[in-house]
Amino acid sequence: MTDVNIPLILYLKLILLTMVPFVLAGQGTMVGGRAGVFNVAQEGIMLCSASIGFLASYYTGNLGMGILAAMVVGGIFGLALAYFTTTLKMDQFVIGLALFFVGLGLSTLLPKLLIGVTMTPPLIPTLNNIPIPLLSEIPYIGEVFFNQNILVYVSVLLSIFLWWGLYKTSFGLSLRSTGESPQASDSLGINVTFMRYLASIVGGALIGLAGVYLPMVYTGTFTEGMVKGRGWLAIALTFFGGWKPLNILIGALFFSGVEILAYKVQITALGIPYQFLLMLPYLATIFVMIFTFRKPTVPQFLGQNYDREKRSL
Amino acid sequence: MTTITGSKPSIIKSFFPYLIAVLASLVAVGLFIGLMGFDILHAFQTILFTSFKSPNGFTQTLLKFVPLVLQAYAFTIPLAAGKFNIGGEGQLIVGAIGASAVGIIFFDLPMVLLLPLVLLGGIIAGAIWGLVPGWLLYKFNINEILTTVLLNFVAFALINYIATGPWRDPTAGHPTTTPIGAGGFLPMIIINPPLHTGLFIALLVSVGVYLFTTRSTRGYEMVATGANPRAAGVFGIKVKNMFVMSLVIAGAIAGLSGAIEVAGVQHRLIEGLQSNFLILGIIIGLIARGNPLAVPFVAFFIAVLEVGASAMQRTMKIPVEMVFIVEALVLLFVLLSAVVRRK
Repeated sequence: MTDVNIPLILYLKLILLTMVPFVLAGQGTMVGGRAGVFNVAQEGIMLCSASIGFLASYYTGNLGMGILAAMVVGGIFGLALAYFTTTLKMDQFVIGLALFFVGLGLSTLLPKLLIGVTMTPPLIPTLNNIPIPLLSEIPYIGEVFFNQNILVYVSVLLSIFLWWGLYKTSFGLSLRSTGESPQASDSLGINVTFMRYLASIVGGALIGLAGVYLPMVYTGTFTEGMVKGRGWLAIALTFFGGWKPLNILIGALFFSGVEILAYKVQITALGIPYQFLLMLPYLATIFVMIFTFRKPTVPQFLGQNYDREKRSL
Repeated sequence: MTTITGSKPSIIKSFFPYLIAVLASLVAVGLFIGLMGFDILHAFQTILFTSFKSPNGFTQTLLKFVPLVLQAYAFTIPLAAGKFNIGGEGQLIVGAIGASAVGIIFFDLPMVLLLPLVLLGGIIAGAIWGLVPGWLLYKFNINEILTTVLLNFVAFALINYIATGPWRDPTAGHPTTTPIGAGGFLPMIIINPPLHTGLFIALLVSVGVYLFTTRSTRGYEMVATGANPRAAGVFGIKVKNMFVMSLVIAGAIAGLSGAIEVAGVQHRLIEGLQSNFLILGIIIGLIARGNPLAVPFVAFFIAVLEVGASAMQRTMKIPVEMVFIVEALVLLFVLLSAVVRRK
């Protein structure tokens, strides 16, 4: 009886584990977008944070330092995005692409310069599971939900916190209105520039945290291009979740579910060439977007820059 | 006559920000290279002059120029219509797959038939790969940035499948197919150092894109759509059709660049033949600000940097990514110069 159930439990546990980068990057995108700053540099930010976060923990021997470094890197990217778009009023997609390239370049340059090419990859310890006392003792459920690494708990709590912050506080209302109608917000005395900077920096830091999760949980080392499109998938996830924190959390379960499904089918060897299973997450995402983009709920001012001296359309 | 004399300073004027951008990027990276303890002057010499020191360096630069200029157009044509095509990489790969499939299936055909078919195979396959995001945008209003990127990842898996499938070359360690028929090889301009006629195709495409965007009705409608979709719609331009058309043309050009890599350079399908052409192509397109006349010149400049970068890695052990940072910085500075001029 239990023997049959163990794999299922394991897969459920894995789905929660692989959900984290999607949740964090998705929430990061959402936070920036809610203030009107549409970040499309996720892939580059995640790579750069993964690389620098890995290097930081490799040299300090401390995973906490790696996490901190990754979030700082992500925050700097968010700051740059906010500066170029909000202060200099440059096109958000173009700047996003430029930042993507910078992150991509730095992510491989820095390990090459600092560590060089080695025969065996340099390793850092991966994050331990932290069982929650008592709750982790519950049969099945305890193992799936309450015996995970710290960032799994953080990503769930963060999503709930963001929901509360956005919908139950006046600050959240100000942030949301900045992304919906900066003119109206400005006239009500909300500091639009400050809101956009703050949201972009916090969003960037979350995306950075998503990036460093990969070396810290999956591989223990940084490899070139290890983000494998998760940054782009996170943007799709944000649309899928309608730019709402709790929906993004649930949507992330779908994204990680597909990733684990592809992996599960691969090891059960049903005779499908494994390359087609590798396509699955991307094709599934495109398929899902067909339904998502029918009536997309996006912040009204997403991707545009606010200039109070310009006439609004 | 007055127009000619009047336009001269403006050409210099518009070139000036580029010069500043290049200098500023080189200074920034030079400081970094110096801090790492490398010889700055030698590094810069290698980056900038490797292309012009030997015939080999120069042909290498031209070989790099071909895919770069085509990838840049695959980005700038949809950009003119106001759409972002980040899928040039996937379109190149699928184009290369189409070209090799034709080249392997019709292995024995003579060159007059096989070469056009191989190129056409690449163009059609790439166009289909561009049509998919175009159709999804037309029918379901799905953001083209996401679909084009995601289709890149699908193409990565597809090329791996093809290159390890029935056509695979069992003697190669890397996923590779057997060669295409010799009739599908692009003729060479020079044998040693090798330079294939894909260069002429790339130049022809450059002229074609310029004429299309500036001299044709469809091209004008496309540019008008990008400039102001609402106004274009009011004047009876079918805006959505323009989006699809721009993505299909982009896919066709990127597919052609894949076919040229197969027919001119590799003579077979090899996983990874797309190199980093997509990202460099986007950088070129953005530095050129989407101007089809500027694209070839910027592409040549980036090709020079790329050839210099690999020479620098070989002789000085400075990672090639250092030059990638230079390119990204040039882009940022060029973008910034627009802000400065606006003020």
